[in-house]
Amino acid sequence: MTITKKKRLVNIVRFFVLGFNFLIVILPIYWMVITSLKTNPEIINAQKITYFPEVFTLENYISLFNMLDYSSYLYNSTIVTMLTSICVVILSILGGYGLARFKFKGKEGMLLFFLITQMIPSILVIIPLYIMFSKAGLINTRFSLFVFYMITNLPFCVITMRSFFERIPYVLEEAAYVDGCNKVQTLTKIILPVMFPGIVAVFVFAFIGAWNELIAGTIFINTPDMWTIPVGLKSLIGKYNVQWGALMAGGVLALLPTGIMFIFVQKYVVEGLTSGAVKG
Amino acid sequence: MNPKDSRQNTQRIKMKTMLEPYLFILPVFILLLFMFGYPLINSIIMAFENYKLSNINDIYFNNFENFKKLFGDSDFLLLIKNSLVYVVLSVAGQFLFGLVLALALKQDFKGRGIYQSIVFLPWAFSTFVIGLIFRWAFNGEYGVVNDVLIRLGIIDKGIAWLGTPGLSLAVIIIAMIWMGIPFFGIMILAALQSIPEEVYEAADMDGCGMWQKFWLLTIPYIKPTIIITILLRTIWIFNSFDLVVIVTGGGPANYSQTLPSYMYTKAFSGYDFGLAGALGTLLMVILGLYAVIFLKLSNYDKAGDF
Amino acid sequence: MKKKLLLVFLAAIMGVSSLTGCGKKEGGNTAASASAGNAKTEAKSSKSGDSLRFLDVSPSETRQRYYEETFKKFKEETGISVTYESVPWDDAADKITVLGASHQLPDVMTTWSGWLGQYTQAGWVIPLSDYIGETRSEYTEAVNKLLWKSEEERYGKIYTVPDGIMVKGVFVRKDWAEEADIKLDPQAGWTYDDYFSLVAKLTDSTQKRYGVSYRGARGALDPLLTYLQGFTGGNTYDAEGNILINSPECQEAFKKWTDIYLNGYAPEDSINWGFTEMVDNFTGGLTGTLINDSEVAATCLANMEASQWMVMPMPKSTVDNKIYNTINAPYSYSISGDCKNPDNAWKLIEFMNRPNNNIEYCKLTGLIPIKKDVENDPTYGLDGPYATFVQQLNDPNLAVPTTFGPFDYTDLHQGMFHEEIQKYLLGKEDANKALSTITDELQTRMKKYLADNPDAKIETASVLSK
Repeated sequence: MTITKKKRLVNIVRFFVLGFNFLIVILPIYWMVITSLKTNPEIINAQKITYFPEVFTLENYISLFNMLDYSSYLYNSTIVTMLTSICVVILSILGGYGLARFKFKGKEGMLLFFLITQMIPSILVIIPLYIMFSKAGLINTRFSLFVFYMITNLPFCVITMRSFFERIPYVLEEAAYVDGCNKVQTLTKIILPVMFPGIVAVFVFAFIGAWNELIAGTIFINTPDMWTIPVGLKSLIGKYNVQWGALMAGGVLALLPTGIMFIFVQKYVVEGLTSGAVKG
Repeated sequence: MNPKDSRQNTQRIKMKTMLEPYLFILPVFILLLFMFGYPLINSIIMAFENYKLSNINDIYFNNFENFKKLFGDSDFLLLIKNSLVYVVLSVAGQFLFGLVLALALKQDFKGRGIYQSIVFLPWAFSTFVIGLIFRWAFNGEYGVVNDVLIRLGIIDKGIAWLGTPGLSLAVIIIAMIWMGIPFFGIMILAALQSIPEEVYEAADMDGCGMWQKFWLLTIPYIKPTIIITILLRTIWIFNSFDLVVIVTGGGPANYSQTLPSYMYTKAFSGYDFGLAGALGTLLMVILGLYAVIFLKLSNYDKAGDF
Repeated sequence: MKKKLLLVFLAAIMGVSSLTGCGKKEGGNTAASASAGNAKTEAKSSKSGDSLRFLDVSPSETRQRYYEETFKKFKEETGISVTYESVPWDDAADKITVLGASHQLPDVMTTWSGWLGQYTQAGWVIPLSDYIGETRSEYTEAVNKLLWKSEEERYGKIYTVPDGIMVKGVFVRKDWAEEADIKLDPQAGWTYDDYFSLVAKLTDSTQKRYGVSYRGARGALDPLLTYLQGFTGGNTYDAEGNILINSPECQEAFKKWTDIYLNGYAPEDSINWGFTEMVDNFTGGLTGTLINDSEVAATCLANMEASQWMVMPMPKSTVDNKIYNTINAPYSYSISGDCKNPDNAWKLIEFMNRPNNNIEYCKLTGLIPIKKDVENDPTYGLDGPYATFVQQLNDPNLAVPTTFGPFDYTDLHQGMFHEEIQKYLLGKEDANKALSTITDELQTRMKKYLADNPDAKIETASVLSK
């Protein structure tokens, strides 16, 4: 009796916690979406704030496309982000595997170095990189963004990947060696399939990081045809006015790819991290 | 790479096994060493130079001038205070919300997948968009937050959130907590799920209560994850300045300015890279000390292993 | 699945090797040029002479379209192609600095006059006096006697060619003034006291109406400086370089100005407002007046009804009855120090400023033309939208006050100027302390500048009328 009572109490608390969290998350998103669907006079009516559009309109989305070359930003963002995430995944598989499976000289130092990279303020990296890139003629290229996004996302991803590897029993590999596989074959044929959720997790980390980056985008890129989505959106904050409606519409559109991807893969992310969560 | 050859030559096997780990790790390591190492050294050197981007032909060593200037800045103490408040409250908020969320999500329930997809969504947002949403929602005249508070009768006159010292920093912290809950939530949830069921069953047999189980089993199990997540998050949040720049620009009168955002404005608005380098070096020293102390205090034995 | 992974794996190895290779090359370059004292690398000289890069610091759809059209015509005529580059206004100063430091400046840049102290010192712009030469007479009086004269006084030579001229005015919500039964006559002019009382009357916080789009963040000192100069004959410094704008009258004036905010005639948020918010909240209907450039008229035309707004001239000084008003070219053309072929760059500037191109540009962007040939276009007549601005230009009482000084003050403009005022508004500091912190720093810099440049002449307020 007391146990069921207790259980019920726990369930009620749980329900409230879940409900409360849901509200916290959803309200700002709701406000963004709703604002993007209002007409501009309604948005900047300080005397009456509406919680639901009086007039539904897509004008903000239309003017967004009129004002901005959205398809070219989408193209740039997609190319850079995909390339970044793929390369980050591959490099962190290599690095993570090396760090997880071998004992070698300088391993501790390398790990420490990865931690230190996280402490360097990004602006201190951007300026010297800018000078390097400009000397190599790489300014205003997607490549420059790709390199920057890759190096900023790599340390965390390598370390995460390493803990995934550590969760996979070495027995699995040994079995493969007995069957005559070499290291690379073992990695690609045996281990990676098991690691699928973990790989997805790392891919998502890198993807979101690169997709949303703004500062390097404004500094490395000169011409509007090379802008990524966040840089393009930022240009809506003009010298004379902030186009709140269009900005919110842009926010919604920018969220779509990452949001949809996230909805589908978050399961794998949690799963992948679960297998790598606690290290022996 | 050819197993036949290597079998014939033990010497080569030895060489190869010695080199093997490096083959895997070196591409990443060299790339990062080069891309981070050069800027790192560069900025430490810059910290001791008169290095003004606006006058690049006149660069010379000026010893500790930049640091003197930094510590002599009348707002320096304010910046330190802001940074501490910002980091401590943001990390604490994210951690608490994330932990509670993860605990609530641990047990399966109908629709958990969909629920998870939604509550973890802030992670997929760009800081820029989050900054805009909160800046807009907390606007003193058009903002929905004031409107709600007035309707609820909590206040009777709109508050100038972004124009009031203290409150403008609070808005930034609220936005920061909002965007960081999913990261903690996912990490802790994953850790919770990796606790073997048998452990709890054994505890039940011993007659442990809910709190006992939580403190004696759950927490120790997820402690490594918590420590690492807090450490990383603290470093990231401490170094992040985009939210500050987007929401308030550090205003009014630097009351929501943090050390990194100040560095950003100094580096750019003042074009004083010497000063920015000095501040950057200082930030790294602070974070380094923090990492060492934090790992020591939390009894995390593998220093450098995160 | 496995096959795919293997492919990806291979691609990665290739990618890595190309990346590291590339990285090494960059490293070599960096080291080499660092030892050569930041000499320009050869990479740039490969750029051919018959293409130019143009940087717009205030991009908008309209401007981009105008420039791209013009560049097309320019290419047809000269065979020189021009690339349009742009950077949002908010990031423009930062971006140019990064470009300048790495010797990547585009050939022709649009520049704001406030940046020139920094750019001339760093060699990021080249003098254009020789190019302008005889054509000087084609430009209007305002360009010759105000803009170029002060540039010559400040920097010794002319570095920029104006794109158009903007004059400041006070934008007023006509309908609110009518409701409050206030008669406003642009022709008759008014004083600062009239302005302050208008601001008070237009404020009605219950209706969410405020008298002023108060500028509290970056640029907060700009309109205030003009007001203070009404007490100093338009000058910032005396002949010895002593600061004038902290006299007792100026300190009183400083308080009077900031009282606008403290008395609640501006939204409380506005302590953090920059340029964008000021304009946005005026056109959006939150504030009743806005001191700004003629440029904004184009925005008002686009976003407001004609019955909603009007323009008053800048108020007269209560001391000498003069209208102190800054006259500027918003985005003057300049040729950068990194330009390989200044002759071609000059051709482009000349082309853009041909009377027919210039008038088209000015109408699009809300500026006053700079070429005598098109000075009398009907748009700029006394019944057009720019009447108040043109009227001020012709007013014998108009005087153009001096700036903060000939030295580099970008860092102050981006920091100390508004931060000190904000501290006062927040009650963290008294008014005298706030103003004197600013004026002390300005005076220190001025004195240093004079010590470094013994021949420098201290500029004084200039007048257009003979």
